[in-house]
Amino acid sequence: MSRRLIRLLLVLLTLSVALIGGVAIGETSIEPSVVLQVLANKLWGAGYVLDPIDEGIVWNYRLTRALVAAACGAGLATCGVILQSLLRNPLADPYLLGISAGASTGAVMVALLGVGAGAISLSVGAFAGAVTAFVLVILLARVSGSASSTGQIILAGIAGSQLFNALTAFLITRSASSEQARGIMFWLLGNLGGVRWPSVWLAVPVALLGLVVCLWHRRALDAFTFGADSAASLGIAVRRVQILLIGCAALVTAVMVSIVGSIGFVGLVIPHAARLLLGTGHARLLPASALGGAVFLIAADVLSRTLIKGQVIPVGVITALVGAPVFALILVGRRSAR
Amino acid sequence: MNTVLSCAGVGFKVRGAELLNGVSLDVQRDETLGIVGPNGSGKSTLLKLLAGLCEPSAGHVQLGGQALGKMSRRSIAQTLAVVEQQADTDDGIRVFDAVALGRTPWLSALQPWSPADEAIVEQALVDVDAVHLRNRLWRSLSGGERQRVHIARALAQRPQILLLDEPANHLDIQHQLSILQVVRALPVTTLIALHDLNQALKCDRLAVLERGRLVALGEPLHVLTPERLQTTFGVRAHYLTDPFDGAPILRFLA
Amino acid sequence: MLLPRVATLLTALSLCALAQAAPTAYPLTVENCGSSLTFQHAPARTVTIGQAGTEMLYALGLGDKVVGTSLWFNDVLGTYKAQNDRIERLADNEPSFEAVIAKRPELVAVELEWMVGPQGAVGTREQFHELKIPTYLLPSDCEAKDNLVGSDGTRLAPFRIDSIYKAVSQLAAIFDVQARGEQLNDQLKASLAQSIATAKKQQRKDVSALVWFSSAEMDIEPFVAGHKGVPDFMLSTLGVRNVVESDEEWPTVGWETIAKANPTFLVIARMDRRRFPADDYQKKLAFLRSDPVTRNMEAVKHNRIIILDAMAMQASLRTFDGLAQLASAINGYDLSP
Repeated sequence: MSRRLIRLLLVLLTLSVALIGGVAIGETSIEPSVVLQVLANKLWGAGYVLDPIDEGIVWNYRLTRALVAAACGAGLATCGVILQSLLRNPLADPYLLGISAGASTGAVMVALLGVGAGAISLSVGAFAGAVTAFVLVILLARVSGSASSTGQIILAGIAGSQLFNALTAFLITRSASSEQARGIMFWLLGNLGGVRWPSVWLAVPVALLGLVVCLWHRRALDAFTFGADSAASLGIAVRRVQILLIGCAALVTAVMVSIVGSIGFVGLVIPHAARLLLGTGHARLLPASALGGAVFLIAADVLSRTLIKGQVIPVGVITALVGAPVFALILVGRRSAR
Repeated sequence: MNTVLSCAGVGFKVRGAELLNGVSLDVQRDETLGIVGPNGSGKSTLLKLLAGLCEPSAGHVQLGGQALGKMSRRSIAQTLAVVEQQADTDDGIRVFDAVALGRTPWLSALQPWSPADEAIVEQALVDVDAVHLRNRLWRSLSGGERQRVHIARALAQRPQILLLDEPANHLDIQHQLSILQVVRALPVTTLIALHDLNQALKCDRLAVLERGRLVALGEPLHVLTPERLQTTFGVRAHYLTDPFDGAPILRFLA
Repeated sequence: MLLPRVATLLTALSLCALAQAAPTAYPLTVENCGSSLTFQHAPARTVTIGQAGTEMLYALGLGDKVVGTSLWFNDVLGTYKAQNDRIERLADNEPSFEAVIAKRPELVAVELEWMVGPQGAVGTREQFHELKIPTYLLPSDCEAKDNLVGSDGTRLAPFRIDSIYKAVSQLAAIFDVQARGEQLNDQLKASLAQSIATAKKQQRKDVSALVWFSSAEMDIEPFVAGHKGVPDFMLSTLGVRNVVESDEEWPTVGWETIAKANPTFLVIARMDRRRFPADDYQKKLAFLRSDPVTRNMEAVKHNRIIILDAMAMQASLRTFDGLAQLASAINGYDLSP
């Protein structure tokens, strides 16, 4: 029991360090003592006299961004774990089900076609697009074969993603202005810049809920190790579990994508890294992946703001630039472990 | 009632093709029932139907007197365990953990992992003579070792009935023999689909399938007559007696 | 607007210009953005792609020579409204190639190279020239600018106001209204000088500013004016420092950086387009005043926010109006430390 407690404390400690790092480092330099004073002021009313701009930056910009980065990273990594386990495919990631592609199309329709006439934000459009694409993918999987056949879902997901990506590309090339296209691309590649406290109240509970639901089913997920039939013979209600967990993954991903755009590689790479370090067993894999995703995305966001002075790179670019070589290393690591 | 598992008039259709038609049989407690037949005769399909892994398009299956279709997967899994033909995984799972999966139907939030479960897994490893493998990774095992681990996992489920789908397929001769030896020594009702007809002779009873129909059910020597072998399997064969122990051996002619 | 006022002030200059202006000698060859255009006579039918070119032609009194317009960013200037209403609008955004040539133009006046150029959204210059239709690109979009690099093109050298005077002169020559052209240029130059003088009256010498065009999402990093573009030219001409240090024309810069830079005043764009919520200047103001960081900026606290027409931020005649507006605002601020 005390081992569990120690592990839990370690997890919380790591997360806290990452969050504080995300708050202390940013586009402009703010003294660490000022950062701590702002936190003291806000958390227990310490009453330091500080520049309101500094206070606003630390509390309203950086802290919210770090929290949402943690939630998104954790959420996407968790979704990656369950999709890889349920679909028995190491290349599965949260965007496999067409969710990211659909979100892009939804966002682009709002921004370029003026759907909603400026009243709906890109986020709402993205969420609607994500859900639509997912529903269509599932329908396609059902129509083309048994929906619980994992191969069908993957193929349907690829088809759906290609369709919606093509739609997005078509809409962008028709765009009247390169500035609009650039604005869309900036959003599509993932951006935490627009995050404020309302996003935190959405992202963090959704991520936590997703993690809890998946942890509740950790034994069921383990049972899928040798395939769906094997899981059934071990007493798992395969259809029900697949529907629940894939649906949960789709929802969590759709929410995350609608808040921060399409940040890739987190859902693909973090689960593999966790597996490499911890082996199998979802009781450890899920929380480890969630933590890894959280820390990774906080770091990526900080990097995206500090790499070029005075300019912000989309965070999706950073995760790809870092994620790709890390993925390659993992592949090599897997081979040598054989 | 000595019948632990039975099916009546089951049929299975897939995309218009009839894989099984009107099959009725019963499995007696503690017996080893072999299912034989040429390729495509429906052995795997029958096993899947009996295990509840798919639903029959006609007829019904009963497990311990209850309709299988109405039981929860969990309660089925507590009675019946399946060893598939070729279950494999890319995960780097340890042998002990792979066998421990067999305890899944018995674990829940209120009944977490306990030393009793640990003991059951250990016993299962002993039963299949795989204790020395417990910390090995799945990837490093040979085909025969993997099958033994699958059987151990099925045993860890503490089932009353064990279903095995051609467990010695694709194994070299040494492992074929050792697997079948292990299976025969198990104190559980066993339903085993077999390819090797000489091995089938060692079962208590045999069910012969031909093109989705049950054409014979009974003791091996009564069922696997040279006529049956000719009609169903398309081979000429006759029996010999092993000078060593007097056991019957089938000799096949080209 | 200020133009009519300045015009009356400088009547004398205009008369001189009229006296000296010469008629155009045809055939006329004009070097324009890497193409040689030859005119046998003044074009009688013109199609414009880009509001800057359209309003330039109107300002030269050539409205009756325009048969079709396209690519509008804002409402047309009030003085030209009646005239503009009589002319067919081919498209609010980019027109199709066929729509343009269906008007049988003798000249196509283009504001942006990415409309008609090597990767033109409407077509390439060769496509038009093959049909014997000359295309005139506003020099401000092709001189010292590589439009194939960067999403809005990359300026290789800072924008120069001379490119606008050049456009006016060349168009005036093409249409044989050189007198009017020289008059207009003199008016513009005078306006510029006036603006500079007005701005100089401001006591504070270390005035800084930021120009905010729009943002993909309300709270996200905004598109702001960097160096080398038209807005930066406007600021530096009036002696104002642009807090943005990027050399890109419209980089995205985080609000954190902007807030820490704390510019003396802000310029926000007003436009009719509603693609992004931030296009609406009211929403921009609401954001600046409510965001917990930006509302503490010096410019927001003292309400030093200038609302500038988006057309003024592009190379056009409205740039001069924008300069005048900025100058008068700067002069009006009480910036005593």
